[in-house]
Amino acid sequence: MVVALAGNPNSGKTTVFNNLTGARQHVGNWPGVTVEKKEGICRWKGRSIRIVDLPGVYSLTAYSPDEVIARNFIVEEKPDAVVDVVDASNLERNLYLVVQLLEMGAPLVVALNMMDEADSRGYRIDVERLSQLIRAPVVPMEANRNRGTQELLDEIAKVTDKEIRIPELIVNYGREVEEEITKLESRISSAGDLAKRYPPRWLAVKLLEKDQQIVEVLKAVEGG
Amino acid sequence: MKVDREEIITASYRSLAHLESIFADESETVIADARYGFIAGLVKDVVKKPPIERLTLSDQIDMLIINRWFGFPLLLAMMYLMFQFVFRLSAPLMSWIDLGFGSLAVVASGIGGWEGSLLAEGVIGGVGSVLMFVPPIFLLFIAISVLEDCGYMARAAFVMDKVMHRVGLHGRSFIPMVLGFGCNVPAVMAARTIENSKDRITTILINPFMSCGARLPIYVLLAGYFFADHAGLVVFSMYAVGAAVAILMAFGLRKTLLRGISSHFVMELPPYRLPTLRGVLTHMWERGRLFLKKAGTFIFGVVVLIWLLNYSGALEPIGKAIAPIFIPCGFGQWQAAVSLLFGFLAKEVVVGTMGTLFAAGEGVLGQAIATQLGWSPLAALAFMVFCVLYVPCVATVATIRSETNSWKWPLFTIFYTTATAWVAATLIFQVGGLFLG
Repeated sequence: MVVALAGNPNSGKTTVFNNLTGARQHVGNWPGVTVEKKEGICRWKGRSIRIVDLPGVYSLTAYSPDEVIARNFIVEEKPDAVVDVVDASNLERNLYLVVQLLEMGAPLVVALNMMDEADSRGYRIDVERLSQLIRAPVVPMEANRNRGTQELLDEIAKVTDKEIRIPELIVNYGREVEEEITKLESRISSAGDLAKRYPPRWLAVKLLEKDQQIVEVLKAVEGG
Repeated sequence: MKVDREEIITASYRSLAHLESIFADESETVIADARYGFIAGLVKDVVKKPPIERLTLSDQIDMLIINRWFGFPLLLAMMYLMFQFVFRLSAPLMSWIDLGFGSLAVVASGIGGWEGSLLAEGVIGGVGSVLMFVPPIFLLFIAISVLEDCGYMARAAFVMDKVMHRVGLHGRSFIPMVLGFGCNVPAVMAARTIENSKDRITTILINPFMSCGARLPIYVLLAGYFFADHAGLVVFSMYAVGAAVAILMAFGLRKTLLRGISSHFVMELPPYRLPTLRGVLTHMWERGRLFLKKAGTFIFGVVVLIWLLNYSGALEPIGKAIAPIFIPCGFGQWQAAVSLLFGFLAKEVVVGTMGTLFAAGEGVLGQAIATQLGWSPLAALAFMVFCVLYVPCVATVATIRSETNSWKWPLFTIFYTTATAWVAATLIFQVGGLFLG
């Protein structure tokens, strides 16, 4: 069982990773690039969960190798669950990654970290409502005090056991853009093999974002 | 069918070129803005922040526009201003077009015989009286485009979200309602973004009450003559009546046929943008083009048919057979009955039929209606309200059929809208009659 750990830089992702894996860590490199790849094993309730730490990113565009690594891992390796560690005191900026992960159809669990920091700034976050609106589990945490780890694992287990299914998030891009998305989406769905590998709507949005890497993937020989 | 990947890339370049010409901005920026808009709406819903915060300009404007107390009155005021803008600006333009068609009709009737009658009464009277309404319809489309493009429409939906939840719907149902002001066909299709099927069907069923652009000629014509001093206000009231009935019906449907709890969505708050002239004009043309095309083809055909029926004397008996139903409503004349009947084909035809029947050479259709039908302002008001509410045009009914994939809902729509219209018009005429003596 594989769980990918995503999140913005400085969201406390490393602390969450350490809480989950303890000393059972392994450091290497992502193939072909000099970006550090950390992995670890989490033993919990008789399970052995492989945790892969993705590079810390704010977005999932094709502008930096970090972002490409993170998104390719999710699209191609299809981990059983993806945890996005979110800084609750900087919710607006951190949600940008959450939204993009959900648009990809990632089986997401949101680790709403630094709740203490958000509290001390006077932010009152309605965790249940957030979860209801994005239709994915949200776990409030204070990773630096190792609070919320058990609850996070509970939610991860529900996702990996397919007890809950996280639906692809549909952001409404406005009438004009939606019209173009619909056109491209139906073409993509007709190109059989493509739709199996990537969610058609996500691919359409990426094309409209002029994502060069996606254009390269499309140009590549079939099955390549 | 297999689609070539190269073809997908080419199609995406076409889409990019189209979007970038409308928005005059990079497409990735437009998409990122929409995504931030989604997040802004989500955060406003989920997080309570302490009062002292550094606010962006957009936040400050939002504090006013989506304010709990101020947002709704402001929305009404915006809609009122929109109709004032449309009416005041279009009035002089319309009288020029009217004069033009009037003199054409004089020339045509000079030809004499049935050819002269067909040209003067059928073509110029019928199609001309529809084309006269190009200015208000295009101005309405401009106003809707500006409100959409600057980001206000999304705020309006945000403000309406709370109101809509009270009647068992949500803000997402509001966008199809506003689009209904343009045309009900795309508006009914826009309900596709609503996933829950009961929410969607309710949104579709109430949409015909949202008064479309094709009904605007009726109000402009009648309000302009019978309520000359308050025409803008009367036209605005027609739209308000339609919207109010739509919301009441939604409430009723959710309590009876379509019982259930409304689902929750994130209401997007995209950043404010200055609309581009090119974008607004493109939208106006995309929507307005259909109106012109319809006037030149479908409406032309229907109007010639009506002229033929009238010329051969078949129209009057048809009208007289239906007219008694409308006596309690205050417009029991056969001409009114025929206009409403053919209005089912397209709402522009209501005015087009009057134009053919009363072919007033100098083109003062309002006066011809008042003298020949003997309508009081109250009867005109009842007629307008009937037109707001009664059966949607055949294209809308067909769209409801395909979108709900059943015959049940379109048939239901035909009957419940017409019954509502009859009751409302009768109430206005009878109760109003008591007060006015």
